[in-house]
Parts: sequence; structure tokens; C-alpha cells
Amino acid sequence: MRAAAVTLAAIALLALLLPLVLPWGHADIDWNAVRAPAFTPGHPLGTDSVGRDLLVRVAVGTRITLAVALAAALVALVVGVAWGAVAGWIGGRVDEAMMRVVDALYALPFMFVVIVLMVVFGRSVLLVFLGIGAVEWLTMARVVRAQVMTLKQRPFVLASEAAGARGPAILTRHILPNTAAAAIAYLMLTVPQVVMVESFLSFLGLGVQEPLTSLGILVHDGADDMDIAPLALAVPCFVLVALVVALNRIGEGLRERMAA
Amino acid sequence: MPAILIRRLATAIPTLFAVVLLSFLLMRVAPGSPFDSERPLDPAIRAAMERAYGLDQPLPVQLGRYLANIATGDFGPSLVYKDFTVSKLIAQGLPVSLQLGGLALLLAALLGVGGGIAGALRPGGWIDRSVSVASSLAVALPSFVTGPVLALVFALWLAWLPVSGLGGPSSLVLPVIALALPVAGAVARLTRTGLAAALAQDHVRTARARGIAPVRVIVRHALPPALIPVVSYLGPAAAGLLTGAVVIETVFGLPGLGRYFVQGALNRDYPLVMGVVILYAGLILLFNLIADLLYGWLDPRVRG
Amino acid sequence: MTLYAVEHLSLEIGGARILEDVGFAVAAGGCTALVGASGSGKTMSCFAPFGLAAGRPRGSARLEGAELIGLDERALRPLRARAGFVFQQPLTALTPHLTIGAQLAESASALGGARPDRRAMAAMLDRVGLSDPEAKLDQWPHRLSGGERQRVMIACATAHGPRLLVADEPTSALDAELRHAILDVIGRLREDGLGVLLVSHDLPLVARHADRVVVMDAGRVVEDGPARAVIETPAQEVTRALIAASPRLDSPPPDLPVPGAPLIEARGIAVGFRTPGWRRGRFQAVADAGFALAEGEALAIVGRSGSGKSTLARAVARLGPCDSGAVLWRGRPLPPRARMGTAERRLIQPVFQDPAASLDPRWTVAQSIAEPLRNLIPAMDDAARAARVGAVLDEVELGERFAARRPGELSGGQAQRVAIARALAADPEAILLDEATSALDVLVAGRILALLGRLQASRRLAILAITHDLAVAHALCHRLAVMEAGRIVEIGPVPQLLASPQSAALTRLVAAQ
Repeated sequence: MRAAAVTLAAIALLALLLPLVLPWGHADIDWNAVRAPAFTPGHPLGTDSVGRDLLVRVAVGTRITLAVALAAALVALVVGVAWGAVAGWIGGRVDEAMMRVVDALYALPFMFVVIVLMVVFGRSVLLVFLGIGAVEWLTMARVVRAQVMTLKQRPFVLASEAAGARGPAILTRHILPNTAAAAIAYLMLTVPQVVMVESFLSFLGLGVQEPLTSLGILVHDGADDMDIAPLALAVPCFVLVALVVALNRIGEGLRERMAA
Repeated sequence: MPAILIRRLATAIPTLFAVVLLSFLLMRVAPGSPFDSERPLDPAIRAAMERAYGLDQPLPVQLGRYLANIATGDFGPSLVYKDFTVSKLIAQGLPVSLQLGGLALLLAALLGVGGGIAGALRPGGWIDRSVSVASSLAVALPSFVTGPVLALVFALWLAWLPVSGLGGPSSLVLPVIALALPVAGAVARLTRTGLAAALAQDHVRTARARGIAPVRVIVRHALPPALIPVVSYLGPAAAGLLTGAVVIETVFGLPGLGRYFVQGALNRDYPLVMGVVILYAGLILLFNLIADLLYGWLDPRVRG
Repeated sequence: MTLYAVEHLSLEIGGARILEDVGFAVAAGGCTALVGASGSGKTMSCFAPFGLAAGRPRGSARLEGAELIGLDERALRPLRARAGFVFQQPLTALTPHLTIGAQLAESASALGGARPDRRAMAAMLDRVGLSDPEAKLDQWPHRLSGGERQRVMIACATAHGPRLLVADEPTSALDAELRHAILDVIGRLREDGLGVLLVSHDLPLVARHADRVVVMDAGRVVEDGPARAVIETPAQEVTRALIAASPRLDSPPPDLPVPGAPLIEARGIAVGFRTPGWRRGRFQAVADAGFALAEGEALAIVGRSGSGKSTLARAVARLGPCDSGAVLWRGRPLPPRARMGTAERRLIQPVFQDPAASLDPRWTVAQSIAEPLRNLIPAMDDAARAARVGAVLDEVELGERFAARRPGELSGGQAQRVAIARALAADPEAILLDEATSALDVLVAGRILALLGRLQASRRLAILAITHDLAVAHALCHRLAVMEAGRIVEIGPVPQLLASPQSAALTRLVAAQ
């Protein structure tokens, strides 16, 4: 888990710092070096088919992918925790109704919904993460609800009622702090999923729009030329896979630590 | 068991109705229309076209008519693929997607459960560690990466298999593998963690104490409860594999449902998009139902 | 004739010495009991030689002359088949997704034996006292009660004809009245020459069923001898402490404070629950129950699990649902649960069974104890509150150094003392003890019981004690209420009721002690 955290931090730092250091911007075109191979002076990874520096594009793409993932995961966290906590705490018919809504949304084809949202409301980075977050909160709501339901049965909640605490106080002071571990662990597992969905959408041309870039777009572009410029595929792929693996490891590590 | 079935069906039907309603409204409030094109359409022609497709009626009327039609299996005409009804497009795409998805599902389940068991036999052994690394990678590698790479290696360089298009069983090998890998990785990890939890349980210790052989203890006493999270993951995942391997169909040029959907969405082909969404929702509900029945088989306690 | 002999057994796990030079023997047809407080190493001594516990033991353990120590799993498995094992938790020890018949057949044929036919298996279940054995073969474990499951466990453990039966606390998860029945079943099996190794912390129980007692403490054997001799004339301090900690009904009645004016009167309490599942119905947990409690008086509510005693007490304390009936506090009605104000909440405070679960794991001891003060006595300032927290911590004999700890850093007994301190913090007039000692180790439970007795005298607390253990009632309470199927079937002074029980429920409970 420590190795995973270091990897994640290194990727995030590089993504943040590299564009500040490098002479090229992600949209700048070097007319003297279109389709430059790797290790060309000034372009360590070469350039793409219109002469944009690949290294800076990978860094910016990672930034965007991470930003979208974080924002979407936060949307999922806020909506999911609120929904799950209320359903689990009130219970009974309210719970039944709220969870039926979640069930119904689960039955919506997830990928298709995001695609439809993108098509319907136009393509913008903001929408990409709102759309993804809007779908990703469902599982978070279930996780939090299950936690709240079991915590509610614990004697310390009853003891708190006997100690004169009112419902809202019990929920905010005893129950929610105790669900935080589960919610954060699950959040860590949501982020890689969001990274994947974002790159899927970008791959299909429905996510982030040119000249801005993301890991998904870079992989897509790289796949077109993989037989002549393998690094253009390999580097963004490597970053994407390393990110997802590291996030998964951290999330599972947190979950195991919590279970222990 | 029938009780669970009936209760599931009782919630599935309103859910399906909600899906229809939601996607109908979403498509109608969407800005833009399928008849938008490069140059503005003559208003008269536009009105005529909208009338022809019933788009000039008030929303509730449109909805009612739509519901009545889909009840008879008629999802209306496609707005983009002229001369085709949505039902016909689905009938063309579905068999391709079902073959692809069914094979991928089978492969993923076999690889995943097998890998999970192999790892659990010797916790911390080299098999366990390699399965763990392989499954992490498989989960993290998007199919739009594995697809092209597999195509490059096996189709272009080695020329063992066709690059794209549909033609005989060999054309399905690469897409099935690319599609199955992430699912297999997830299944292997779920199986492995489920087995780790199950192996620590009292009844497994009892079985071991009775002198039952280790492999038998795992397969017969620990595996069924360990498979419950696998089943709940595979329910929706199966529906996804069967209908919308959107990316893989695009990469390998297979005429399945997923491609129709993406093209339909991009072209604002409302009836096509809705048809696919409703079909997909129905499949998810069906697979959740199957998953529920499997729960009862894996753990008789939920049968009540 | 010695069937199983353990000598010089020692075990280290991660550098910690778990067992040191442990030795004992089981005769064919005999029953040797290992007793001791939790953590004394008794369970480890049983399972380590058979490779069923962590770590690699050293020393010697010979079953019918065959050495077990030092063998690998493959060589150990056939030898393990000469023994059968019964574990503590009957609810979780059977595989939930296999029928009783399937598990029994598998146990009988695990090591190459013939698969028994249905008649043979039904006979096995009959032998352990299960009714309707033929039908039970097709049942899943969750359909059976705890006692029935433990009988199935015994049948499975002996299905392959072992020579030795190892039973780890086989009855401690069961109701008192089932304990002797289960041990009688094990006793009958001994008639065929089966040797029994029994692990228990329950000395009175052991006294009746074992013929040899081995007392363990901190990983060592401290006393070993014939059961009667060890229990009647214990040679070691540890043994005496264990005997003293197990409350007995024949000890002289304690000196209880004299009750004062009437405090609580509960009348016509009824509570029903919706039964889950497809066929929804209502289950009447408590029907038309009532009792009175005076200042400084202690009332025990006893009954088997599921008799409604906990539900009744929670309804009265306004900590659980209550459909109908009235609770009068000094003659004035208590409002329903949702409308309990701070003044009323302060009157009665609960202490629950599971000490670890009744404290918020994220709160410090001081925060938990201060919670009732903060809510119920809002006028109290921070300094006064801190002083009060320190005072109640002293009162439960923990001291202020515990104030900053969290529940994870407390032992079971310490956590229960914190729970008691929290209950006392706001100066209640009554406390509700919901099986407050039954999840604790014997020695710890004995000390908690003594503490409660002292508090009862010093604070003139009224106590409502829910328990399935008549000995707790005997040690702490003036009066006894017996519940069965949601109704109070008998109520009266403790000595009188114990001497001449009228109801069938109490007769069974007394017989089981």
C-alpha cells in the first residue's frame, strides 16, 4: 500500500509540475517537428501527428483525468453518503422507497446514460464529471446505508439515546463518523472506476474535447499509430494502468485495514 | 424461492416502466433534433417531418403511443437508418453482441473463479501472488488498450487471426479475450477475497477438523459463500457484456448493438437509443433476477 | 487405560509464550476437563497438537500411542480422524449451504470410510437425542435451534467412529437449561469407550460431568486431579478464585439494602414485532406484563432466550418499542420513547451485554462518560463535568488514567466498567442491567458483579437486571420475575422462588443450575 501511495503521489506531482517546466503547452504546435520520433531534442517522447509535444500532453492529460476523477468521486461521495445515511437511519418505508430509486437507477445502462448525457447536454469537462458522479453515487449509497443499518443496531447508539442525545445528534456524532472509514475506502475504489469511465468516454470522442486532452484521448490517438510510434501508446497506457492499480491497491488496503 | 421471484418481478416491472419514462423524457428535453443538419431546414418541411414521426403531438400522447407500441415489440422506425425499424436493427445487432458477450462471460467466469481458487490453495504462495498481480493488471487495463494491442500482435504481426470485421469463429477470438480480461480480473479478486473470508469462518475449521481434504474443503465448504459477491458483481456485468461491448465492437469493427447505440446517440436517433436502453435495462433486471436465484442456491438462508 | 496423553507441550506464537510444559491425560471412556479463565491456554492445548491452531507446538501428544507433534498436515490428517471435534459456536460451526445429511455423510466418509445410508445416519442423529431424525437429514442448519445444531455437531464429530472427542466450550453459547442435556449426550457416548476432552470455564458444570479436572493459568497447568477432589478441596489460589467467581445458588443470600418507597410501576406492557419474510405477521414478544420496583430494590427478570425479558425491560426504560401499557415513575406516567425529555432520561440508565459494542469506538472514555452529563445536565460547566467524569471513573475502580483511552485499548471488563460509569454519571435513580455480565470471562464477571453489589449499597440504586443466569439474580436481587413466551409467569422474593419454583419455566431453570 505504501508503494501504491508513492506511485500515486509521483504521478500526481509529475502531472502538476511538468507542464510548468516544459517549454511547450499542450496545444502548442511545433511546425518543425511534426510526428517527431522519441528522443528528438526538445521532445523526449516525440510529437503527435500535428506536432504537439507528447510529454506535456501526457502530463496535462493525466491532470485532466485525475481532476475529472476526483470531482466525480466527490459528487458520488456527497450524494451517496447523504442518500445512504438518510435511508439507513430513517429505515422503514422511506428506506424502501429510497432504495427502490437506487435499484431503478442501477437498471439504467450506466455507460449509455453517461453517453446520452454527453450527447444531450453537449460536451464539457464539467458535465463529464457531473454525469459520471451522478451514476457512481449509487454503490456509495448502498455501502453507506448498509453501514448505517448495522451501526444503528449497535448498543452504543442505544446508550447514546439513553444519554439524552436526539436523533440528528446521534446520526452526526456517532454514526456518520463511524461510516467514514467505509466511505473513504469505497471512495478510493470509485476513483479508478471513474478514471476508466472518463477514458472510455474520451476514447469514444464523447469526453474531454480537443485541444484539451486526457489519458483516454491519448491512448486512442496512440492506438492509431501504434505500429509506427509505440511510445505514443505505451506511455499514456502505462500512466493510466499505474494510476488505476495504485488507486485500487490503496482502496483495498484501506478496506482491509478497516476490516481488521 | 417463488416468494423472492414474485417480489423481484413486482419491483422489476415498475423499474422498467421508470426506465422507459426517464429515457423518454431525457430524449425529449434534449436540445437539438435529429433533423438538425448543416443548413437550417425549411420550417414547413421540418413540421411535415415532425408530423410524420408524431413529434408534433403533446408529450403525454407521444408517451402513451410509444408505450402501446413497445408493448407489442415495436420500437418505432429509426430516424437515421431510414427504411429500418429499431426492432430490426436490434435483431441484427443482438445476435452478434450475444455471441461476443456470452463467450466473454464464460471465459471471464472460468478464468476468474479458477484463478481465485488457485490463489487461495496456498495463501501467499507464488501462484497466489501472480494471480494477484495479473488480476490487478487485467482490471486496470482498459479494453480499448488490450484490444488494439492484441490486434497488433496476433493479427498484424503474427497474422494468426483476422484484424477486424465479422467472419467465422476466428474473428471472435481477440474481441472475446479483450472483453473478458477486465471482468476475469475482477472476478478473480472477488473470489480470492471472498475465499479468504470464508476460509476464516468457523464452519471451514469444523470441516478441516473432520479430516476433509483441503481441496474439497475449499470447493465444497468455502467456495459457495465466497461466490456471493462474485454473483452480485456478475449480474450487472453480464448484462453489460451481452449488450454493449461498445468499445470492443468499435475497435474490432463488429456490427453489434453497442455500435448502433453510439451512432444512434451521436445522431440523436431517439427511438434507436431508447430501444437499446430499454432492452439493456430489461437484461439487467433479468440478470439481477438470475443472481437472486443463485443467492438462494449458494446460501439456503436467504430462501427464508 | 490412557487413550490420549499430552506431555511437556509448549507453544510460541510470534515470540509470545502461549503454552509451557502442559501435560494431561484422557482415559478411554473418561472425561477430562480443562478449566481456566480466558487466555489461560486451555483451547490452544486442545487444538495445537492436532494442527488446528496457529503455531508449531513442541513436546509430545500421543493418541493411542501415535505421536502427533512434529507431523505435517498430510501425515496428521489420518491421525486427526481418530478424534472428533466440537466447537463453541453451534450457530456458525456447520456449513450453512449443505444439508445436515450431506454433512453427516461427508464426516462419516471423510477418510475413505463407507458412505452411510439414510437409516444409519438417522440412527446417528437419534443417538444424540434429536427428534424426527429422518426429516432433519434434509434440513439446512439454519432451520435448527442452537441446541439442535450442537447435537448435530456432536453427531458429525462422532460419525466416523473416533476414539477421542474434543469439545471446546460446547455449551457456553447455549441457554442454561440446555447445557446439561448436551453434556448428558456426550456422557452417553462415553459408555462405548469414547474418551472426552472438555474445555470449559464453567466449574459447576464440569463438576457434574467430568471425572478429571485440569486447571490452567497463564499457559501452565496449575492443578490436576479427580474432579470432586479439585472442586471440593482446591489446592491452588487460581482454582479457588475460579470456584468463588462462579456464583452458586446454595451460597448464603447476600446482605441487600432495604427497599424504600415505590419507584417504578409498569402495567399491561405489550410489544409486538413484524415478522420478516414473505408471510408477514406479528410476533407478540411481550403481552400484558407488569411489575413494580421500589427505591434501592433489585428485580431480576429471568427466562430463556426469546422469552421477551429484554424487550420488556427496554419498553419500560423507554429504549425500545412499546405498543401499549403504562409506566409510572413515583406515580407519574413516563412519556413514550420519542417524547422522553432530559429530566425523564436521567431517571434510568442502561448497561448492555457486549461491553465493546456499547461504547463508540471513536470516542474516548471521558467523552463517552461525559455524553449523558452534556445532554442531561446542560447547566454543568466543563470543569464540573471533568471532575464528575473523574469521580465516576474512581467509583468503578478504574481511575482517571483511563479517561483518554479509546474502547480498543480496553479489556472486556474495563469496557464494562466504563459503561457502568457512563450509566452512573448523571446520577440515575435506577439502572437497567441487560445481561451485563454474561459476555465476560468468569473471573471478570465475578468482579463486575461484586462492583455492582457495592454500588447498589452505596448509591441506593434501584436495579432491573435481565439475565438467564439464576446465580446473578441470587447474588444481586431482592425479587425475581420469570418470563416465558412474553408473559411474566411467576414473580416473588428470590429465596422463596428458588426454594419452591411454581412455574414450569422456573423449575427447568433451577434444575439446570
